Amino acid sequence: MKVMDSRPVGTQQEAIRKSKRSRFRKLEALKDFSFALPALILLLVFIYYPMLNSFYLSFTNWNMTKPIKKFIGFDNYVYLFTSDTFYNVLRITFTYMILDVSITLVLGLLLALLFNSTSRFFNFLRTFIFMPHYISMVIVSMIFLWIFNGQYGLLNELLKLFGMEPVQWLTNPRTALWVLVVVSVWKGVGFTMIIFIAGLRSIPIEYYEASGLDGATKWTQLWHITLPLLSPTTLFLVITHFISSMQVFQSVDIMTNGGPLESTKAMVYWIYEMAFTEFKTGRASALVVIFFIIIILLTMLQMFISRKTVHYEG
Amino acid sequence: MMRKKWFTIPAASLALMMSIVGCSSGSGQVEDAKTAAEDNTPITIQYWHSHADTQIEALNYMIAEFHKKYPNITVEPVFQGAYTDLHKKLQAAVAAKEVPAVTNVEVSVLPTFADGGVFADMTPYIKRDNVDLNDFSKGMLQAYSYNNKQYGFPLIVSTSVMVYNKTMLDQLGVKPPQTWAEIEDFNKKVTLKENGKTTRYAFSVPGWDTWYYDPWVSNGGGSILSPDHKTTQLDQPDSLRWIQNFRKWMQDGSLQMGYGKGASDTMRQMFLDGKVAMVQHSSAIIKTYLENAKFEVGVSFIPGDKERKSHIGGAGIVIMDGAPEKQKEAAWKFVKFMTGAENNIKWAEGTGYLPTHKSVLNTDEGKKYFEKLPQYKAVFDNFDNVVGRPQHPAYPEFSKKYMEVVGKMILENADPVPLMKDAVKDMNAIIKDYQ
Repeated sequence: MKVMDSRPVGTQQEAIRKSKRSRFRKLEALKDFSFALPALILLLVFIYYPMLNSFYLSFTNWNMTKPIKKFIGFDNYVYLFTSDTFYNVLRITFTYMILDVSITLVLGLLLALLFNSTSRFFNFLRTFIFMPHYISMVIVSMIFLWIFNGQYGLLNELLKLFGMEPVQWLTNPRTALWVLVVVSVWKGVGFTMIIFIAGLRSIPIEYYEASGLDGATKWTQLWHITLPLLSPTTLFLVITHFISSMQVFQSVDIMTNGGPLESTKAMVYWIYEMAFTEFKTGRASALVVIFFIIIILLTMLQMFISRKTVHYEG
Repeated sequence: MMRKKWFTIPAASLALMMSIVGCSSGSGQVEDAKTAAEDNTPITIQYWHSHADTQIEALNYMIAEFHKKYPNITVEPVFQGAYTDLHKKLQAAVAAKEVPAVTNVEVSVLPTFADGGVFADMTPYIKRDNVDLNDFSKGMLQAYSYNNKQYGFPLIVSTSVMVYNKTMLDQLGVKPPQTWAEIEDFNKKVTLKENGKTTRYAFSVPGWDTWYYDPWVSNGGGSILSPDHKTTQLDQPDSLRWIQNFRKWMQDGSLQMGYGKGASDTMRQMFLDGKVAMVQHSSAIIKTYLENAKFEVGVSFIPGDKERKSHIGGAGIVIMDGAPEKQKEAAWKFVKFMTGAENNIKWAEGTGYLPTHKSVLNTDEGKKYFEKLPQYKAVFDNFDNVVGRPQHPAYPEFSKKYMEVVGKMILENADPVPLMKDAVKDMNAIIKDYQ
C-alpha cells in the first residue's frame, strides 16, 4: 500500500506507518486465506486424508470387521505382484480402455465432421446423439443387460429375424468385454462429438480457403489441416477418456459381475470385490495405490508424447 | 472502517467450519452392563433390514403388535437394500462405530461378521429368559451360531427345493425323483429333443450360486471342508460325484444349468414356458411361481443319495455388539418377539418364508396354513434335514473358485475334474491365508 505523503516524516512516525502497513497486509492475507478455508477443509477431509489413509492401510491386514490393523509391511504388494489375477485384470482393463477410447474418439470425430453444419436439422440430430450422456450409466447398463440377454434379448430377436443364430453375448467369455465397450461407446460418443465440433469451429476458415486455392483435396485438408489443429482437443479427450475408462465399474457390476469366467474383471471392480466381498480391505488399499501410480505414470507418458504431436496455435 | 469489515469474514468461515463439524451426530455412549429387563423408560431402536416390498405389510404388522406389548420401545425400520448392500452398510457402520441395535444378516456371511466380533452373543440373554431352543429346527439354529456361541436367530428362512410342473409330470405319469438313482429314469421320460437339440429339459440346477449345489456335494457322500476346517476336500472322489453327474446329465441334454447375470430370470421364464419340467430354486420363490404359473405347481425336497439334506438360506436377526446396553436390551425383546412361536405362522404367511418352530405344526393356525399351501408341507416334512451352510469366514472368497469350475463346465463344456483339482490348490491357499 503506497502512502501518499508529501510532508517530511520523522523516523518514529515512519516506523508506526510501516508496522501499520505490514499488519494490514497480514490481516489481508488472513482474510483471503479464511475465504479459501472451508473449501480447503473439505478437500483435506474428503480427498487428501482418505488418500493418505489408503496408503497407510495398504501396509496392514485390516479386514474391515475386526478393529485389528496389523502392520505387515509390503506383504500385500508382494502378493499382488506375484498373483496371476493381477496381470490378468490389468490386461483386461487395458484392452477395454484401448478399445473404448479409440472407438469412441474415431466415431466421435466422424460424427463431428458429418454434423458440423449449423442447420436446424443437424442441431436436432446432435441433441439426439448427445442424449445418452444425460442418462445414468446404471440405467443404461440395466437396459442393455436385457437387450443383450441370451434367451430373451432384443438383439438376439433381431438376429433371429434375419435368420442368424442368437449369440450368448454376456455369458460367452469372448464377447462379454465387447458388449461393455459397445455400451460405453454408445454412451460417450455424443459428448466426444460435441467437443470435437467445438474444436473444429475454432479452426480459422482461411486455412481451408487458402489450401483449396492451392489445389488441396478434402482428404489432404483433413489430414494436414484439421487433424493437426484439432490435436489440443484430441489430447484433452484422450486423457480424460483414458482416466475415466480405466476406472470402469458400473457396467461391470450390473452386467457381468466380472464374469463370465473373469473375462471382464476390470481393476476397480476387483478392488471393490476384494474390499467388500472378500473383506480384504488392507490388500485392496495396496491395489488402489498401485493402480493410482499406474494411471499417473501413463498420464505423464501421454503428456510427454503430446509435446511432439500436439500443435497449439499461436 | 476496513478493520470492522474484515472481522466478519473469518468469523463467517469459522461459523461455516463449525457447522460442518457439528453435522456429524454424536455416537452413543456405552453404558455399564445393567440387566435392564424391567426398565420401562422410552427408547427407540433402529432395525436395519432387507425385507422386499411384499414383506413390508407383515413387518409393519409385527412392529405394531410389538409396540402394543412394549409401549415404551419404538422400533424404527430402515430398509438398506438387498443383502449385499445391507452388509456393506453394516461394515461401514462398524468402522464408523455407529451401529443400529438390531439388523438382518444373510446366513452365509454370519461367520465372517461373527469372527470379527461385531455381533452380540445372545447366550446370556437366552439363559436369563429361559428361551426354549429345542423348539427351533436344530439346523436352522446352528446356522446362526459360531464357535458355540449363539449370535442370531433364523428369521427369514428359505431352503432350496425342487419346484416342478405337476400338470406336465402327471400327464407323463412321472413323479419327481427322490433319490439320485431315480434321476436317470426321470430324465429319459421327460427330456424332449428335436434334431439333437433339447427342446424340453428334465430339470435345472442354478450354476450362479454355490448355495444350490453345496448340498449335492454332501448328499453324494463328500464334503466341502475337512472336519478341522483347515483344508477343502472337493477333490476327493466322493466329493466329485455331484459334478461328474451334472456333466453327464448336461451332455445328454437333460440338465440345464444357468450361469451369470440374468440367468435366474431366464430359468424362471423357461419353467413358466414349459421348457423345463423341474427347477431347483429357493423356497422363497414358491409364492411367485404359484402366482404366475398357468399350470399346477408342486414342490419336492431335493433328491438325495448317501444323505438327503438341503442348505438353509435367507437371513436371520442379530444384535450389534457396538450398540449401547439399553438399546441391546430393547433389541433382545424385539428379537424374541419376531422369532417367537406365537407369531411364527402369521410371519411365515406374510413373508412367504418358512416357519421356524416345530410346535406350530400342531396349532390350528399351523394346520390351516399347510392346508392353504400344501407345497410348503414338502419342505416342512424334512424340517430337520435343512442344515446350516459350511461355516468359514473365507467362504465368500473360496466358494468363488469352485463356482468358476462349474462356470467353465457350463460355458465351455470343460471337464470339471482336473479343473477342480487346480481350484482346490487355490482354495487351500485362501484358507491358509485366513489363519
